[in-house]
Amino acid sequence: MTVTEMSCVGRNFYIHGPSITKLNQNVNSFQRKFVGEVKRCEELERILVYLVQEINRAAIPLPECEASPPAPPLKQVLEMQEQLQKLEVELREVTKNKEKLKKNLLELIEYTHMLRVTKTFVKRNVEFEPTYEEFPSLENDCLLDYSCMQRLGAKLGFVSGLINQGKVQAFEKMLWRACKGYTILSYAELDEALEDPETGEVIKWYVFLISFWGEQIGHKVKKICDCYHCHVYPYPNTAEERREIQEGLNTRIQDLYTVLHKTEDYLRQVLCKAAESVYNRVVQVKKMKAIYHMLNMCSFDVTNKCLIAEVWCPEVDLHDLRRALEEGSRESGATIPSFMNTIPTKETPPTLIRTNKFTEGFQNIVDAYGVGSYREVNPALFSIITFPFLFAVMFGDFGHGFMMFLFALLLVLNENHPRLNQSQEIMGMFFNGRYILLLMGLFSVYTGLIYNECFSKSVNLFGSGWNVSAMYSSSHTPQEQKKMVLWNDSVVRHSRVLQLDPSVPGVFQGPYPLGIDPIWNLATNRLTFLNSFKMKMSVILGIIHMTFGVVLGIFNHLHFRKKFNIYLVSIPQLLFMLCTFGYLIFMIIYKWLVFSAETSRVAPSILIEFINMFLFPPSEMYVLYTGQEHVQIVLLVITALSVPVLFLGKPLFLLWLHNGRSCFGVSRSGYTLVRKDSEEEVSLLGNQDIEEGNNQMEDGCREMTCEEFNFGEIMMTQVIHSIEYCLGCISNTASYLRLWALSLAHAQLSDVLWAMLMRVPLRMDTTYGILLLFPLITLFAVLTIFILLIMEGLSAFLHAIRLHWVEFQNKFYVGAGTKFVPFSFSLLSSKFNSNDNVA
Amino acid sequence: MLEGAELYFNVDHGYLEGLARGCKASLLTQQDYINLVQCETLEDLKIHLQTTDYGNFLANQTNPLTVSKIDTEMRKKLCREFDYFRNHSLEPLSTFFTYITCSYMIDNVILLMNGALQKKSVKEILVKCHPLGRFTEMEAVNIAETSSDLFNAILVETPLAPFFHDCMSENTLDELNIELLRNKLYKSYLEAFYKFCKNHGDVTAEVMCPILEFEADRRAFIITLNSFGTELSKEDRESLYPTFGKLYPEGLRLLAQAEDFDQMKRVADHYGEYKPLFEAVGDNGGKTLEDVFYEHEVKMNVLSFNRQFHHGVFYAYIKLKEQEMRNIVWIAECISQRHRTKINSYIPII
Repeated sequence: MTVTEMSCVGRNFYIHGPSITKLNQNVNSFQRKFVGEVKRCEELERILVYLVQEINRAAIPLPECEASPPAPPLKQVLEMQEQLQKLEVELREVTKNKEKLKKNLLELIEYTHMLRVTKTFVKRNVEFEPTYEEFPSLENDCLLDYSCMQRLGAKLGFVSGLINQGKVQAFEKMLWRACKGYTILSYAELDEALEDPETGEVIKWYVFLISFWGEQIGHKVKKICDCYHCHVYPYPNTAEERREIQEGLNTRIQDLYTVLHKTEDYLRQVLCKAAESVYNRVVQVKKMKAIYHMLNMCSFDVTNKCLIAEVWCPEVDLHDLRRALEEGSRESGATIPSFMNTIPTKETPPTLIRTNKFTEGFQNIVDAYGVGSYREVNPALFSIITFPFLFAVMFGDFGHGFMMFLFALLLVLNENHPRLNQSQEIMGMFFNGRYILLLMGLFSVYTGLIYNECFSKSVNLFGSGWNVSAMYSSSHTPQEQKKMVLWNDSVVRHSRVLQLDPSVPGVFQGPYPLGIDPIWNLATNRLTFLNSFKMKMSVILGIIHMTFGVVLGIFNHLHFRKKFNIYLVSIPQLLFMLCTFGYLIFMIIYKWLVFSAETSRVAPSILIEFINMFLFPPSEMYVLYTGQEHVQIVLLVITALSVPVLFLGKPLFLLWLHNGRSCFGVSRSGYTLVRKDSEEEVSLLGNQDIEEGNNQMEDGCREMTCEEFNFGEIMMTQVIHSIEYCLGCISNTASYLRLWALSLAHAQLSDVLWAMLMRVPLRMDTTYGILLLFPLITLFAVLTIFILLIMEGLSAFLHAIRLHWVEFQNKFYVGAGTKFVPFSFSLLSSKFNSNDNVA
Repeated sequence: MLEGAELYFNVDHGYLEGLARGCKASLLTQQDYINLVQCETLEDLKIHLQTTDYGNFLANQTNPLTVSKIDTEMRKKLCREFDYFRNHSLEPLSTFFTYITCSYMIDNVILLMNGALQKKSVKEILVKCHPLGRFTEMEAVNIAETSSDLFNAILVETPLAPFFHDCMSENTLDELNIELLRNKLYKSYLEAFYKFCKNHGDVTAEVMCPILEFEADRRAFIITLNSFGTELSKEDRESLYPTFGKLYPEGLRLLAQAEDFDQMKRVADHYGEYKPLFEAVGDNGGKTLEDVFYEHEVKMNVLSFNRQFHHGVFYAYIKLKEQEMRNIVWIAECISQRHRTKINSYIPII
């Protein structure tokens, strides 16, 4: 049975993964069914880690295959386990031998070094024959000791060996203290650093020779040597002995070298052979372990001896799942095939939104705010257009947008390039958002054309709609001249600022075909004009965006079968928004359309008009159109009426529903109950309980009543939401003014950059100007990229995100779902790679 | 210490304090213990420990698993953490850490000397030494024959040296003398540590002093309990008591006169703090005095995490971790010896 299950799981998750709900979370990790198999996998993993470690130490390259092998069936696993265990035992033995040999070799080498170095000590000792006279104070102090030394002088003993460089000082001190100066320590640094066979560290050593008198002290010295981990070697007494030992050592070292080489060769062979398959095996074991972890989450049916896995699976994939199960059982040759049933459930399923490489980035932006509830309207779809558009409104510059577009295009065209695919950090972020960047670039080109800005300069593509020469008096008939303020030579010469008057015939020849007229780039009041335009534009865009959000809310209510929400929440919200701010848009557009250059002097201020709408001024103040007073009063009344509906509508409706339902429920179920049981029981059971117990119903509003009905709570939430919405309408509209602010900032910043850098050389005379132009162009390019493209782009991006998350999505998006995370080997393999690199 | 040391504390020790608190959060929970107790074999125990913060610290151990392997690995892990703390510490915290290690060093020295007395090889004993109290000179401990020898030749340069001032003697070290030496060392160690914490002032003093006072009193009780029926004279016994703590001085004088457990209990009855502890001790099936003390210690250590900007958290963390290790070892022993009836008498860390 296990085999079947395993291959089934292996197969079907291989194709696409449903996510398993954890069934036995309450069971301890060691009490689950497949704990033995998991243990086996861990054992295999341990061996493999050891193998990889050894292979890496031997500096043998680990071949990695592209194709990842499927998880092996049970029989193969046992085989693999056997092989690996054998390999491990062998390897451990060989390495142990090798280490032992190495240690021996090291000891011999140390010994030779020691003999060589101590030879000089002895010579010195011989030269200064009566060594103990170096301590005259001791001799004077106590005669007894002196005589002792004399007596023991015959039994002069030597201990010699090697000591770690760092410990020499402490060693010497301890010797002196412990043996009260009855020893002589001479040491010299070894010019050659030796490798410690256990840690592989290269350490400097000191060779030392301790001369001492007496047995007792000898013991102490030896103990101290042990304490400091000295390598002690026997000290030859005569020169002859020394020579003999040295010769013996040399031959033994030679022998050891050859043996060591042979061992190393053999080890290398074994490791090379192991290295071929180690990658596959690691992947296989990882997969196997993952499968068993999955199987551990399944519940085990004791009576039927089968495993039951409850999984979420997308409906579309059900067919694939069934086929995978069939194939799995056929492959494993099980007598009873695995089968699948769909279970009806009331639980909310996890949310799966299939994305492609284009929509992925936008979905990620939305998911960062919150994963949508199951079947909730997904704002990512609309963000594909609105997000780059709002970004571009703030980033409106033809040239900058085009550069961004080119960069993104480069990323998109080379998206299969391996180095880009695996790029990390910032580059990885750019790469993952390449399609967003592409669209942002494109939209910025569009808004740049509308603003008519290219690196802060305007482009005159179609010829300006303004004609300056028409302002001169000579081009008009005398009758016309009387009516209008026109220019003549003296006026032009003596005034610093002149204003074109569009009401003069011939001066304004009609609007520029696309975007802002380039002549504005020369005007000193350009900013005033653009500000008015951009501010109105941001308000219009913002209100449309928010209204769209509220409309999307209607779709949510429709889908979740809460029709009453549409009438009691969405429609009042819409009315509130449209009757106030919608009317504002109407006024803006009306004013644009109705008032022309001639009548512009009498055009009212929109701001004043809008404020007046709430103040009810005397009727002669209404100048926009006839009947304005009545229209505005109607709108205000609608707005005022929608507020109480918004506040009270839903809670009252739910209360009504609840009361009506429960009255009905009590009479009916009470009736049946009386017949079945005693009356006391009815009175014992609260109304609530009866109602809950008896009708699990059919239509949509029921889910509310199934829960504990708490009027106060519902009232509170609704009031809070309504207050938030009503205030939000004002503050969010104001928030959309960031579109204007940022686009202004961007335009001004690029203007400043141009004025400070490029204008300087362009105004100089030719030769110097050209010389200066080269470095300044470079500087201009660098600053443009870093400040205007990256920094400004980032800030515009953040503000666009904010506008979507806060202003747009809070109108309809709850985002309280859980993401559908399927089991997939691809997640696993990537983890393996990083692990492997570390190992 | 400066006024308002809280303001500067984080500059020097903030990182380590945060780390210690994080480590404390990773101590085993009640649920973990419940799961551990249910284990059938040591393998099960290992698997369960893997799901906790211990991670796969036993992954590279070859089978079969034994309790001592688990113990050494746990000690190693604690030692790694402690070394990390110590390597990143600044004064006065590093001195504080040295004081923490001193108690382990004393234990190690005594262990080695006892081993030498029983003619065991140094290597054999070294394995049993606590890694926190390891120092280079300690392997040479067994060359000393008297305690002044021990001091002059070996320990004079270690942090233990200052504690030797009143235990210099030329007596050869037999078992009793070693025990006396240990208690004297411990006494002066605790006194020095107490003084250090007191001088440090601030929250550290407020937190550490009660803990150390309790430690001193506990030692006094334990010494008294252990000296019943030995040839230790009452004056000698009194000289072993640390001279601070809640019992000092009247309680200690009374304790010195105590002759059996009941008299000791009567002394404890004078103290509100120790009365309930002694009442909790039961003869059959109840807790031992040791366990009761451990429980009280755990409580004090856990409470010390309620204050901020002090060094006590490090001491408390090490002690709690040690208690946790004792618990795990206890559970593991019970499992491996199939002695499940007593498996629940570990000391929970709440």
